[in-house]
Amino acid sequence: MKNLKTKSLKLRHEANYWQGSFSAMASPCEVLMEVKDRAMAARILEAVADEARRIEQKFSRYRDDNIIYKINNAKGQPVSVDDETARLIDFSDRLYQMSEGLFDITSGVLRKVWKFDGSDKVPEFLAVSAMLDKIGWTKVQWKDQTLTMPEGMEIDLGGVGKEYAVDRCVQIARSLTDESVLVNFGGDLATTGERRNKLCWSVGRLITGKDNAVALFKLYRGAIATSGDAHRYLLKDGVRYSHVLNPKTGWSVPDAPHTVSVAAPTCVEAGMMSTLAMLQGEKARAFLELQEVDFWVD
Amino acid sequence: MKRIATVILLMALAGCSSMGVEPWERDLLAKDSMQLVPDYFDNFYDEHIYFSKEASSGGQGVGGGGCGCN
Amino acid sequence: MQLKKIKGQMAVATCALLQAASPAANAAEAEWDVDTSLLYYSEADGRVQAAEPAIHAGRDLGDDERIDFRVVFDALTGATPNGGYATSAAQTFTTPSGDSTYVTAAGDSPLDDTFRDARVSLGADWTMSLDRMSKVVWGASLSGEIDYISMGLTAAYSQDFNNRNTTLTASLGFNNDIINPYDGVPIEFSPMRVANTGINRDGDSETKTITDFMIGVTQVVNRKTLIQLNLSLSLVDGYQNDPYKIMTVVDDPVTGLPASSFLTADDLSYVYEKRPDSRQKNILFFKAVHHLEEDVINFSYRYYSDDWGIKSHTLDLKYRYELANSYLQPHVRYYTQDAADFYRHNLVLGTDIDTAGNALIDYASHDYRLAELDTVTLGLKYGIPMGDDSEFSVRGEVISQSVNDSGVPAGQETPDLDALMLQVNYSFLW
Repeated sequence: MKNLKTKSLKLRHEANYWQGSFSAMASPCEVLMEVKDRAMAARILEAVADEARRIEQKFSRYRDDNIIYKINNAKGQPVSVDDETARLIDFSDRLYQMSEGLFDITSGVLRKVWKFDGSDKVPEFLAVSAMLDKIGWTKVQWKDQTLTMPEGMEIDLGGVGKEYAVDRCVQIARSLTDESVLVNFGGDLATTGERRNKLCWSVGRLITGKDNAVALFKLYRGAIATSGDAHRYLLKDGVRYSHVLNPKTGWSVPDAPHTVSVAAPTCVEAGMMSTLAMLQGEKARAFLELQEVDFWVD
Repeated sequence: MKRIATVILLMALAGCSSMGVEPWERDLLAKDSMQLVPDYFDNFYDEHIYFSKEASSGGQGVGGGGCGCN
Repeated sequence: MQLKKIKGQMAVATCALLQAASPAANAAEAEWDVDTSLLYYSEADGRVQAAEPAIHAGRDLGDDERIDFRVVFDALTGATPNGGYATSAAQTFTTPSGDSTYVTAAGDSPLDDTFRDARVSLGADWTMSLDRMSKVVWGASLSGEIDYISMGLTAAYSQDFNNRNTTLTASLGFNNDIINPYDGVPIEFSPMRVANTGINRDGDSETKTITDFMIGVTQVVNRKTLIQLNLSLSLVDGYQNDPYKIMTVVDDPVTGLPASSFLTADDLSYVYEKRPDSRQKNILFFKAVHHLEEDVINFSYRYYSDDWGIKSHTLDLKYRYELANSYLQPHVRYYTQDAADFYRHNLVLGTDIDTAGNALIDYASHDYRLAELDTVTLGLKYGIPMGDDSEFSVRGEVISQSVNDSGVPAGQETPDLDALMLQVNYSFLW
């Protein structure tokens, strides 16, 4: 398929479904489709990849041509945003309230001092403290779809972007077929609906610390998202600093689990639950038990 | 001949309820090689050549022919 | 952050985030699936040679709609039987163009070697989905040769049942053909004209209509087997003679020599053939496709009968043998037909036609294709997928056809026909 090729999409037939794969949002992306013909599978795959890449382009903080760049370089001037960006900011605003400040889209600037490369380069206390001026959702005016942010601050929607992309792609797939489709962007995944004959989708899942053994998620419906990255941490004087940062202190959350996976009706919910659980550190498990969701903590 | 054909057709229809597969069992049927006419032009040329060399034609569909070769 | 239950709030917030009208799926940027093919067809003994390049392109338009186009060119040359047969004397015939003659040596089967034709054939299909389980395919076709034009329209309605395991199809086809013989329409049973005389003609063109009806059922038997059964009725009305085929008029059926005194001394003792102007064909067609462990068997059987008295059986078997990254596909086809009721070796003066040139029989043709004959075809195809959805294949077939001329005096039989097909295909997405 010409389009598949030019868009670097791969499509192959498995036992009883089509498997499409491509790369987006710095992750391997996979689409499993229980459709009969290849043309339909190709259509779905293409639509999903287009949407994933659209979202990536629109909200990536690594580009200089999108709304995020515009907001982050407005130098204190108000920026009006489109509906979709507004919904994402509204959502982040609510998450900020719900999490009492633990989820904060302005916390991305901490990356400037924290480099989670497996080394022992834990930043200086003063360097971290200096960043705190530039963090805090309450310092941002968000009103009438217009955002005004002090110069030097940045927002980053990456914390919800991938999960959002998964859910959007599931919506698109659902509009194209009644058959079950699973969208998996680097371990954040959701389905359009149940498969025929009570089959489930089996998705490989890395268990960290266990020689990369692979377990399987068996997913019938809904979504699963995983937070945590076992390879992103610092180790100094026997203390492990996870890459989960508390925006209020600027410091790594102590005793955060390596990974947390949560099942929920949508990938956004699953992803936010697992992110918030990580931010709870040692209380991650207790938090998740309280939420009455299915979860896996390593 | 017509009567026999009708009986076969009815049998085929009656048999349907016990035949068939679920959608997720269509993996093999979805293959190109499992289509009724897997090779577009092989079939086309065959029909064309035998139309011009034999007295019989048709069966797979309607239309076709349209050739002064017979 | 106090540990508190936020599941409900989260669901509400997520709902607000995702509630936006589902993004319209980008209209599928469909692409063309293209089949290209080149056929070289060659009959032994200097008979017909043909080259046919062809291209087919189809694309999905979304919502189960689809369009398909086909263009085929056809260039033919070579010698073709003229309806006569070998005799112990040399025979002289007028060419179809009517402006020259050719001589067939004693003992040779008469072949008209002025045969040349070029044909262009166009086809288009539009598949229109009615709902999830039913569709209509509309088709149009047009083909033109120097002496023949055909226009066709088809409609096929399909309805799926049983979880799409059963498909019933009802099809209708209509063709209108115009026949423009090179030198006008010969009067049936009139003597073959002497070159450049301009006689025995009745107008420049004739027409023929074909109306086809078909009902069919396709059934998925199991994961590995698909069967199809079609019943067709085809009604042909109008001019069905071959305007270039003649019949030999004889005094003595044993020698089979052209009559020495038929009408005037100048006339050649050959007359134009005559076939009925209506024909009703009934066809039963069965096909089964079966997947073995790796390989695939494609089998079909056709029973054909028409009111010209022709009955035929066709068996066709293809076995697709999967190799590591390619496949080999042997093909066997066997065809056998009875003769048409009016198929005759020649016309006997006084019995079949009188000395005044009046036919005493209704119809007659010595077109060997209406004789009792068998065709055996053996073929082999090799196909190799070339990456993303493209495939190259090459196919060779050997066709041998033999006419059963029982009762025909020795030396006058219709010779066997051997032909070779070589075909290369390249399919790709574009």
